[in-house]
Amino acid sequence: MQQASDDDGSRNPLMRKLQSLRRRKSDFWAVHDVSFEVKRGEALGIIGHNGAGKSTILKLLSNITTPTSGEIMINGRLSALIEVGSGFHPELTGRENIYLNGSILGMTRRHIAERLDSIVEFAGIKQFLDTPVKRYSSGMYVRLGFSIAAHLDPDILLLDEVLAVGDAAFQDKCLQRIAEMRDAGITIVFISHDLGAVERLCDRVLLMQKGEIVASGGAREIVQQYQSIAATFKSAASSPNAQLANQEKKAEVRGLTFHDPAGQETAVVHTGDPFTARLEFYSHAHLEDVVFELFFYSADGEQQCQFTTEISGERINLVPGRGLLEFDGPGLGLLPGMYYTDVVIKERSTPKFYDWTQYNFTALRVDPGLMVRGKFYLPHAWHLMQDNASLDGMSHEPVVDEVASSIRS
Amino acid sequence: MDSELLADAIIDGSRPERARRVKIIRPPSFSPLKLLGNFALLAQYKDLLMTLSAHRVKVRYKQSALGIFWAILQPLSLMLIYTVIFSLVAKVSSEGTPYAVFSYTALLPWTYFSTCVTNSTGGLVSHSALVTKVYFPREILPLSYVFAALFDFLVASSVLAGLFFYYSVHLTVNALYAVPIILVLTLFATSVALVLSATQVRFRDIGVAVPLLLQIWMFVSPVVYPLSSVPAQWRTLYLLNPMAGVIENFRRTILLGQSPDFFSLGISTAIAVVLLPISYIYFKHVEATVADII
Repeated sequence: MQQASDDDGSRNPLMRKLQSLRRRKSDFWAVHDVSFEVKRGEALGIIGHNGAGKSTILKLLSNITTPTSGEIMINGRLSALIEVGSGFHPELTGRENIYLNGSILGMTRRHIAERLDSIVEFAGIKQFLDTPVKRYSSGMYVRLGFSIAAHLDPDILLLDEVLAVGDAAFQDKCLQRIAEMRDAGITIVFISHDLGAVERLCDRVLLMQKGEIVASGGAREIVQQYQSIAATFKSAASSPNAQLANQEKKAEVRGLTFHDPAGQETAVVHTGDPFTARLEFYSHAHLEDVVFELFFYSADGEQQCQFTTEISGERINLVPGRGLLEFDGPGLGLLPGMYYTDVVIKERSTPKFYDWTQYNFTALRVDPGLMVRGKFYLPHAWHLMQDNASLDGMSHEPVVDEVASSIRS
Repeated sequence: MDSELLADAIIDGSRPERARRVKIIRPPSFSPLKLLGNFALLAQYKDLLMTLSAHRVKVRYKQSALGIFWAILQPLSLMLIYTVIFSLVAKVSSEGTPYAVFSYTALLPWTYFSTCVTNSTGGLVSHSALVTKVYFPREILPLSYVFAALFDFLVASSVLAGLFFYYSVHLTVNALYAVPIILVLTLFATSVALVLSATQVRFRDIGVAVPLLLQIWMFVSPVVYPLSSVPAQWRTLYLLNPMAGVIENFRRTILLGQSPDFFSLGISTAIAVVLLPISYIYFKHVEATVADII
């Protein structure tokens, strides 16, 4: 890694500044040469890595930002839901926020008043209608946000990652509601990392890469294509250094598979699920003090987390021959999306790599499981203590087991 | 087949076919027709403007002990300070009226203006989450602050009524001129709000500069002194400040019961009327890219 940064001379902060200044001169096209048509009543999905230009398309369609060139023709009333509950004011009550948020989304006061009961019922917040939303749980917040949007009555509805929050049951309700809207003839453009939802909801899917449409077709077909592209992903961010990687191939990575709690091999894992990563390797020699590392990268090449044998346990010495190494995770922290893995076998505290898979190993698809807000799921337990109640009364150890299994069904 | 037709009928029943309007989005360009289109869109969103303006007022006074009295307290405390300084310490002419009511009559429109400008300058930037996530005509954000300030102005006017009663000032029919004067003030404040809030998106310096600017602006407007104390040879130049004509005439018509000075009011009106469309065009120009640079 260090060597790589030496190569482009970016160690000197001044040089780096200069380079970034120079780089800014070349224009960046978030989307370029993109052309597509959505028919009335059709549900179109757009998938692709982060930074592929999906959200930019929605922002262009919804007029949040204007195109530099080109033309967009929209036939009918368009509503966009880019973030659930954006525009909520924490000090205002649920009722006041329904009016505020509804009018931000383009509803008239009369229209909102007519649908107030239905909105409240869908969100299930009836008894908290006059409570300031700052006292709402994150689940209630999201439910109310989606519920308002679900009552918009547009001709065209744009949805961007709106289902990335909320509990599984509510997500399901949302998906159902979107499907109902689609069936009632509303045109839907849907962006999500939740490939399962895209498959379920969309008639047609566009796959985007670096601001261009690289494929379009039936939902199942394109989602599969995306997953196979993901499997051969090479990070643009870090140029692999062949010399460094294959210095001494005294040991090599033969395979990496993911397994669910039952031990079944799987390519799809759910957030919050316990899971196992099984690494197959081959050692050509007696190797002392070896370290195994498994990295996870998001679709845009950003390092998300690492499993390593370096920080815990005993020294690993390898004997010649085949071997297996298993990393167990109590609850997968990654949120829904596609992830890439990278495996390193090396000698402890040296940059001497026995083998390095160079960012293009097994891809992992994470589907919604336990839903949390934020950047990742952290496995957690909770305990409740109250006066006048038996202190050993309530607690909940790993949320994982029961809840996760009940979600799936 | 039959059941499908039936389903279609039900759907059609629940969603009556509206007249669909075709909208075409193109790269930003200027045309008078588009400007008119913007007004039509703004009219569509009038409920949002009303809700947001009411929301500004509500939020400002929620969880504050004095609540709505803050709208009164601001001009009132300034009035007390200026009365002490400019009538007791330094003797400033107040054209024969009690200094307290003299200064309060001017502080009322001035506070309205300065509240508009201060609050709306950050109007776009403080709603960056909203601006990058939802589309609505962006001018609604600065406009909502103008309306909220207008509400404060009306509340603070009640104190003026009290002062008039106390000092037994009698309103004349000329007081009706206050309505068009406040309208001119509102147009001018809206122009300033549009320009500053749009510029603040790219240059955050504006937000820092505004309090200073307003402080200077107040002292080059006839708030704590009458227009008559400005040397005659400077007066025309002085009146190029639209706030000068507005404040002076507001005081003339309400407090002194005289008819307005149409020369100074004319200058203010002309500037406000010319400035508003220019600042609106500028605002719409910035709006096109605001979500990218905010």
